[in-house]
Amino acid sequence: MAKELYIDLSRCQGHARCWAIAPETFGIDDEGYAYVIEGREGSYDEENVRKAIRNCPERSILIRETEESQ
Amino acid sequence: MSEQKEVVEDFDFHGEALDEIFEDYDVMLNKCPVGHSSKYGGFTYIAKSEDIFAAEQDPDTFAVAPSMLLPSFGTDDPLIPIDIDPPTHAGYRKILLPLFTPMNIASLEPGMVETAKQLAEDVISAAADNDGVADVSKLFARPMPTIVFSRLAGYPEEDWPKFDQWVDDIIYRRTKEPEVAYAAGGKITEYFDAMIKKREAEGGEYNDLLDKVLNSQVDGRELTHEEKISYSFLLFLAGLDTTAWALRSSLWYLAGNPKAQQQLRDNPDEIPTAVEEFLRTLSPVQAMARTCLKDTVVQGKEIKAGERVVLVFGAGNRDPEVYEDPHDIKIDREDNRHLAFGGGIHRCLGSNLARKEMVIGLEEFLKRVPSFEHAGGEVWHGVGPLTLRIGKE
Repeated sequence: MAKELYIDLSRCQGHARCWAIAPETFGIDDEGYAYVIEGREGSYDEENVRKAIRNCPERSILIRETEESQ
Repeated sequence: MSEQKEVVEDFDFHGEALDEIFEDYDVMLNKCPVGHSSKYGGFTYIAKSEDIFAAEQDPDTFAVAPSMLLPSFGTDDPLIPIDIDPPTHAGYRKILLPLFTPMNIASLEPGMVETAKQLAEDVISAAADNDGVADVSKLFARPMPTIVFSRLAGYPEEDWPKFDQWVDDIIYRRTKEPEVAYAAGGKITEYFDAMIKKREAEGGEYNDLLDKVLNSQVDGRELTHEEKISYSFLLFLAGLDTTAWALRSSLWYLAGNPKAQQQLRDNPDEIPTAVEEFLRTLSPVQAMARTCLKDTVVQGKEIKAGERVVLVFGAGNRDPEVYEDPHDIKIDREDNRHLAFGGGIHRCLGSNLARKEMVIGLEEFLKRVPSFEHAGGEVWHGVGPLTLRIGKE
């Protein structure tokens, strides 16, 4: 089992703190909502990403188990 | 602090009540995290960070109608989009959402830097003409958002001098002199009524917020004239007042804390982190109202359907369960999930703009204005004078 980082879009409200703190991992779409940059789904343990998780006002940055093993 | 009170009686979050409000927050957070105040027609307050967060995530229980503002902003008409509940709310919000993304705000940066530079130069020359003393609220904190936001919104420059008085009458006089606030509200309504009619009659190409409000659709239809006025009214007050306060309170703190001032002067890359801390502790929005729609229980206290509820963001931002040494302003605080811009579906639409204005404002101010200290002993809150003594280079 592998794990991956994702944004719960039902919670994200576009504060953009994740992008400010860890721009190498998080992007912001045209309406202002966050997404995990392709290829960065496995970065959940990096210090910047952990800091972004702690600073997300909506607690919308989550980690889930995936079927796919890498 | 003298011996701590057991309860906060008649909690208030406007005007002079703000002088000592952080002591009230301490009592609320330690002894009565949910309580009642008889102010403004009576309301139940919620003080703890987690409870405020939960209420914001639950608009079915905590609605914004009839208004998030208590007391009102000089009008009894609901303001779009902050006084609108789901399902109508999302359509209104969507109109301006794309314009306030951090990428879009970044394109305003060169103009903001230029404005901040000029205003900082004005501060220096005013101080030079007045024994080193200048009112940096009047010369810097207030004009910066007026200029930046008015350009973005599309308000003609010749109208700008009228704005401060309207803001003062509504935001700062509404608690004691509601008639003054309503009179100013009437003037703002007339102002936008005329501006919208003129634009619609003349046509023309504009690239501003007003244009977006006038030419967007909600639920497949154009906004009515009244809706266009309401949206414009809200943007006007939200865009001018809050950022002026936030800039002023940041400078207020730095004037009294030479070490922090020097730290940021020497390390401007630390300003964005410091800005988050100023927002946490000295924010212009200390509280906002909701209305409870169904009986609920928070911290063991019952809140009945129909009650007005006040979410005290300023208290939640000093909750010892969330922040270490919550009353200490630590400009390098790294974990700072504060509630200064609210959260949930009503998260401040302009938060990315406000942050950018604060960072650039403080960067340019510290870069140009030599070390400064308090000369007037003014209070931390509001947008009144901030008289500083400015040192020589």
